[in-house]
Amino acid sequence: MKKGDKYIQQFKVTEEVYKGFLNVFKDKNPMHTDEQFAKSKGFKSVVMHGNILNGFLSYFIGECLPEKNVMIYSQSIDFKKPVFLNDSLIFRANIEDVFESVKTAEIKFDFQNSEGIKVAKGNIMIGVNL
Amino acid sequence: MGTAEILNECNKIFIDQLDNDSIVLKRETTAADVEEWDSLTHIQLIVAIEKFFKIRFTTAEIQGFKNVGAMCDDIEKKLNSK
Repeated sequence: MKKGDKYIQQFKVTEEVYKGFLNVFKDKNPMHTDEQFAKSKGFKSVVMHGNILNGFLSYFIGECLPEKNVMIYSQSIDFKKPVFLNDSLIFRANIEDVFESVKTAEIKFDFQNSEGIKVAKGNIMIGVNL
Repeated sequence: MGTAEILNECNKIFIDQLDNDSIVLKRETTAADVEEWDSLTHIQLIVAIEKFFKIRFTTAEIQGFKNVGAMCDDIEKKLNSK
């Protein structure tokens, strides 16, 4: 893993992902579960939990990088636009910097929906080959 | 930038990274003197210091620092050689 490396991954917020998140974490706020409520707030449908994207991030770090010996030290994410059920998301990650002295990499990422709209962005610090 | 200024900037970084406004670094300070300075926050401190001063340490250099003063001396050396 080196500075400038880029990764692309596709994710989809399926019914299974949505229901799984609801069942595990019990966040049944009407924005996420009540169609009429979400529409009354100006959304086309119920809004998916932003932290579903953090689940995708976890999968990316744990399963998609060439190194399996990794650990997330910190991460931040800005939610820019809502994500809806069955949205397909393109995840792009860039190794922004590598701090070899402490075996740490900084990754910048974003998620775009199928319309090319950036729905979230952020960065992660990970330890590699600890 | 002299050693005293470097120590002052490091102090700000430690306060920010360790969320402890009462930290006052001295040249003799070691990890044993700062409660929040553990193996995980150590990584965050080094990354923040490397970013701020736009320098890079090696693993061997970090392992060789006997205290904060030694680290500041190395930062000064790296800044002067730019």
